[in-house]
Amino acid sequence: MQSSHKWGKAYLAVVFVILYLPIGYLIYYSFNKGGTMHDFSGVTLDWYKEVLHDTRLWIIVLNTITIALLSAAISTILGVIGALAIYYVKSQQVKQILLTLNNVLIVSPDVIIGASFLILFTMIGIQLGFTSVLLSHIAFSVPIVVLMVLPKLQEMSPTLIDAARDLGANQWDVLTKVILPYITPGIFAGFFMALTYSLDDFAVTFFVTGNDFSTLSVEIYSRARQGISLSINALSALLFILTLALVTGYYFISRRSGMLGVGGRRR
Amino acid sequence: MKKLAIFFIAVFCAALVFYYTAFALNRTEGYAGKNTLTVYNWGDYIDPALIKKFEKQTGIKVIYQTFDSNEAMMAKIAQGGTTFDVAVPSEYAVSKMKEDGLLIPLDHAKLPNLKYINPRFLNLSFDPGNRYSVPYFWGTVGIVYNPSMLGGKKITSWNDLWDPDLRNQILLVDGAREVIGMGLNSLHYSLNDTNKQHLRQAKEKLDRLVPNVKAIVGDEIKMLLANEEAAIGVVWSGDAAEIISENDKLDYVVPKEGSNLWFDNMVIPKTAKNIEGAHKFINFMLDPKNAAQNAEYVGYSTPNEKALDYMPKEITEDKRFYPDFDSIGNLEVYKNLGKRMLAYYNELFLEFKMHRK
Repeated sequence: MQSSHKWGKAYLAVVFVILYLPIGYLIYYSFNKGGTMHDFSGVTLDWYKEVLHDTRLWIIVLNTITIALLSAAISTILGVIGALAIYYVKSQQVKQILLTLNNVLIVSPDVIIGASFLILFTMIGIQLGFTSVLLSHIAFSVPIVVLMVLPKLQEMSPTLIDAARDLGANQWDVLTKVILPYITPGIFAGFFMALTYSLDDFAVTFFVTGNDFSTLSVEIYSRARQGISLSINALSALLFILTLALVTGYYFISRRSGMLGVGGRRR
Repeated sequence: MKKLAIFFIAVFCAALVFYYTAFALNRTEGYAGKNTLTVYNWGDYIDPALIKKFEKQTGIKVIYQTFDSNEAMMAKIAQGGTTFDVAVPSEYAVSKMKEDGLLIPLDHAKLPNLKYINPRFLNLSFDPGNRYSVPYFWGTVGIVYNPSMLGGKKITSWNDLWDPDLRNQILLVDGAREVIGMGLNSLHYSLNDTNKQHLRQAKEKLDRLVPNVKAIVGDEIKMLLANEEAAIGVVWSGDAAEIISENDKLDYVVPKEGSNLWFDNMVIPKTAKNIEGAHKFINFMLDPKNAAQNAEYVGYSTPNEKALDYMPKEITEDKRFYPDFDSIGNLEVYKNLGKRMLAYYNELFLEFKMHRK
């Protein structure tokens, strides 16, 4: 028993090393005087200076975060409504069709989604830019949220709702006091999934950006032809530290308040 | 429920704050004004100091947007919904955009600095009379090789690659015109040859090269060569300059049988809103001093003859990137061979890729 436990720990350690080593490598070279991703020739903070002075890059970072937060929040709300609708559908066949339609959107290649959105937006006459990126991000995040929330709904015992009804709860009370608290972990999971999807999406975004609106992944890809400067490493390092700080902060807050977070528990 | 509500309100507030900050930054940088010019270029393909200088000189605010392939750029421009004033396509993209009616003719009266461009790079088959485009950078297709991995052997021609000692040492770019062209050039045919017999011959010759080919790769060819994963690579000169700047053990040669000449060009797409400003920008980039500064920053070869006077000798006398046109047989631009011929090239290339060792 003891030995298998040790193996488990070792395995976990290896997995974490594999996951974090490339990030560490990236951050390590962001201090390189040499200016390339090999031959470390001395420590410098020049790349960080360069990033801090690059206003255009910061505007793009802010754009990226804004789009991610907004699209994640809106798609979570839409996705929860969608999941509830699918949950309440009586006929098994219709439910299956709806789920299949939802899954098709998840597995369609980004390039196809992006190209079709581009055609759609130009047909309707929406100017490419903030709005078009936001709309397309919401569109590809909704199915993911639905997929995250549905299992939570399905594992909820229907007798809970019956009990609430028996105790005189109306529709609204059932929704806000029984169902939503129960599926909260799913909602948060969906939100954060949507957030990460939006942050690193390249293909869809590339098609629908335009008019001086751009996101980080599009910017970095298009710099690749000339070789990516280490200031991008520096930026990645800064964003990584920010993410770490946010996650740690979230962890402590949820521990303190016993808040029901992703996979949290209720006191 | 309350927690959810608080959380979502907080998210929306945060988003609003970020959005407003970006907006304010945009305004202080002057990107939100009326007098702007949107330049659509390859990433990091211009010296940012030049953009600043242009803004100072003209009072026009430049919005610099980037793309990573000609095809993607053409798709974006063809769809509309954007306001690009200047774009920088490669030569084959220029002729395609011209055919598709995506370009606005240039007013040469507003481009007095055009006279500084070497006449050799003007009036070429992809844009006769330079009605729509002005060369921005140019280069060749050639061979990057690593003398230390080849025991000091020098490579000077396409035919050197068929040497049986080079087993599994060569990386090729994944381009039908480049690879078939190399086969044609090695037989001293033109790389725009449309004679099917010649093309077959070239393909059969390429089949004999297969044992020496390690892989046919895309953009990662730069990294693989710089990291010495292979001794030889067939690449564009721009990539070669980057590879050599990463790893100075490597060398580049334009094969003596001849090769391809490529151009990236400035054009005004039909999406342009500020045609006046676009001409100003193109003329500004044609100014010899600016062209020299840009060429030093980007590291590609400039077509601006006068600019060479303002650049260090070790750059302009570097035969690898400013080859001697008299000593190299036939440096040609890819002609538009038409859909059917192009399909035949692609078919031959596919057959070559499937050829077993």
